[in-house]
Amino acid sequence: MKKRGYGLANMWYGIGNTANPNPSGAFVDFLDDGTAIVLTGCADIGQGSNTVLAQIAAETLGICIEDVVIISADTEVTPDAGASSASRQTYVSGNAVRLAAEKVRDQVIAIAAEILNLPTETVNLYQGEIWNSNESSGVSIKDIIIKCRSKGILTLGHGSYNPVTTMLDPETGKGIPYATYAFATQVAEVEVDTETGIVEVKQIVAAHDVGTAINPQNVEGQIEGGCAMGIGYALLEEVILKDGEIQNPGMSTYLIPTSLDVPEIHTIIIEESEISGPYGAKGVGEPALVPTAAAIANAVADALGIRIYDLPLTPERVVAALKSAQEDSKKV
Amino acid sequence: MAQFHLEMKVNGKAIALDIDPGLRLLDVLRDILHLTGTKEGCGEGECGACSVILDDELVDSCLILAPQAYGREVITIEGLALNGELDPYQQAFLEVGAVQCGYCTPGMILAARVLLNHKPKPSQQEIARAISGNLCRCTGYAKIVQGVEIAASIKETKEGVSRA
Repeated sequence: MKKRGYGLANMWYGIGNTANPNPSGAFVDFLDDGTAIVLTGCADIGQGSNTVLAQIAAETLGICIEDVVIISADTEVTPDAGASSASRQTYVSGNAVRLAAEKVRDQVIAIAAEILNLPTETVNLYQGEIWNSNESSGVSIKDIIIKCRSKGILTLGHGSYNPVTTMLDPETGKGIPYATYAFATQVAEVEVDTETGIVEVKQIVAAHDVGTAINPQNVEGQIEGGCAMGIGYALLEEVILKDGEIQNPGMSTYLIPTSLDVPEIHTIIIEESEISGPYGAKGVGEPALVPTAAAIANAVADALGIRIYDLPLTPERVVAALKSAQEDSKKV
Repeated sequence: MAQFHLEMKVNGKAIALDIDPGLRLLDVLRDILHLTGTKEGCGEGECGACSVILDDELVDSCLILAPQAYGREVITIEGLALNGELDPYQQAFLEVGAVQCGYCTPGMILAARVLLNHKPKPSQQEIARAISGNLCRCTGYAKIVQGVEIAASIKETKEGVSRA
């Protein structure tokens, strides 16, 4: 018989390393042609940090993203930006890039205010032009940078950011382990075949508070990928060890989800702006995966009325659990 | 060791090479022809990262000995964007954000191309089936399936225009 169930799981997750120094640095160079180069040690391993950091620099400098060149993760030339881990790069390196770009922006604004005879407080960079309050002066940023060069001024900036945390008290465990947290709720719908023990995930709803989503398409991609990994964690993936040796060291014996195992994932992005984040952003990398297996296990418990405490919920494990529940009920 | 004289067509170009007969097609493509768009993942035919098209069929180039490609036609990911213009698959994958780490992408696109050659307007289920031999660890597949759907419609429009 096929039984349906629904399960829900919540999570919160600290962004960055636990109560440890966790700095990132960045350099920004605003060039004569109005484009900018960003140097950052942040390694884009597919999460899209190059795109997000370029967006942050473009937003700060008032230029379009196509005019930002990112040079990243080259230890010969880029400043340290820590590891691409702990869901920290948008938050930590994003802040470093923002701070570096703000220094450059302030230089350009100071010169623009002087040349155009405007108060610095109302001068802004936007859409490649110098603005005074809500009005474009008609003068391009590029012209001001050229003017800077004629005065011998280079428009360079560096920034670094280290999240504010405090060490945990070894006795009480109290402290401020993370500067900010991501929150999420996921719901899974499953269908369990009580004959074969096969669990099929029918759909997942994943709602994630990521702060401001600097690139919503990337955020969706991260959530969809996290859910797929969570499905693997819940149903398929198990390292089998025997005498210290892995028994299933291949993709046909250690199964990960294929395109046929991943159902429709409905992502809901909750944009609760984080005051300490770059333009309000937090992180999403690991949080996407955290609640998925719990939601699926809860859905299986809902479908069967039996709670299984070991992952993955393989057909063998599900059948064994059903059988032992049956035997227990006979004893009563 | 005696060399094998390999003649084949790669991305429309005739190639003639003397190679070690024990090389895999993957090695010839990557190490000799420097077509590094084709990736080596597992190296044992289980992940699909090294997929190429061999005479209209999707194959794992890690499982094909280079001499088996003699006289045949190979298409790799480099054979898609001709004259610097992105082809519909590349355009669609970029548009929907179907690329994250990118390691599975060349294989995914070639798998999609073989599908669309046989079935120009596939359903989502047919797309999922066609790419199920190509593993992806980071996207969750949703945007890849969406990308293939969009590629199909771009192709349809283009072909409609060129026929008209």
